[in-house]
Amino acid sequence: MAYSDKVVDHYNNPRNVGTLDKSASEVGTGLVGAPECGDVMRLQIRVNPETNVIEDAKFKTFGCGSAIASSSLATEWVKGKTIDEALAISNTDIVKELALPPVKIHCSVLAEDAIRAAIGDWKKKNSVAETTPVAVAAH
Amino acid sequence: MSKQSYFEIFELPARLRIDTVALEKQFYALSRRLHPDRFAARPAAEQEAALAQSSQLNDAYRTLKDPVQRTQYLLALEGVEMEEQSRAATDAARAAGEQKKQIVPPELLEEVFELNMQLAEMRAAKEMGEDEPELRRDLMTAKDAFDAKMVEAQTELESQWEAWDSAADSGDDAGKARAKDAMVALLNRRSYLRNLVRDVNDALGL
Repeated sequence: MAYSDKVVDHYNNPRNVGTLDKSASEVGTGLVGAPECGDVMRLQIRVNPETNVIEDAKFKTFGCGSAIASSSLATEWVKGKTIDEALAISNTDIVKELALPPVKIHCSVLAEDAIRAAIGDWKKKNSVAETTPVAVAAH
Repeated sequence: MSKQSYFEIFELPARLRIDTVALEKQFYALSRRLHPDRFAARPAAEQEAALAQSSQLNDAYRTLKDPVQRTQYLLALEGVEMEEQSRAATDAARAAGEQKKQIVPPELLEEVFELNMQLAEMRAAKEMGEDEPELRRDLMTAKDAFDAKMVEAQTELESQWEAWDSAADSGDDAGKARAKDAMVALLNRRSYLRNLVRDVNDALGL
């Protein structure tokens, strides 16, 4: 199966690989996985408590090229966004941007899950009321 | 013709502990019955039907012979598509308007992530040209640990077969459901471990 140029680019030059301090109050960590492929993905965000803007994002993914590219892209996209804006990112946006084939769509779902999990963790740490926006995304 | 399950093809109850020797014998007996030579003088439609049945028989045998595939197949009959779990969880969450629940327990994700990190470090050191006996020893230790975890998962899976089979025999639906959930969790764990084993073998050049 051929990967799109964008997937190859993110795979060869992943953006924002790394770790943020998990115990810091302004950091949210999302750890998610798709057992079907044995993928595991960690995405972390650092949120400015004054503005709710995501100022930094890091990821580490063990999985296929599409999973790495999806999480790399996710960190690029959440940076500079507010928490609410980041929650609006849907897997279909990732699919479109990376031109993922149908069999790799679950990688984009995993990246969306990771963003949500990281934000959920940050909210919990900072006692922000949990709202559950319903994403209307297709596979 | 209604579609038979793989178990039905072999006239077996849907159980997980099966007599593989008997299965093989039965497979050869059924194969002979469907052999193309026996249909050479028959109309084309019958020949085609025998060929289709023969191909289904082969699929059934391959699936039931393999312990993991057999388990996955039975779970599919019970409505759990292992390959569709993430998607099913996403769909369920969206339908209910709730936050999606991860299908893998956080402890397993933590463990797998940590093991992958350690392995990645060792592989990075190897790529840097470090080829010290110490590094190789570390990788071998990791390999042994992963192999042991695989064996452990397999043993646990087999004990769930027993739980499933006896619950199925006695019509204990709650027991079946428990065994089913436990098998799904074990197969998921196994799928992560399999990748770790593959990666460590790769790093060792095995």
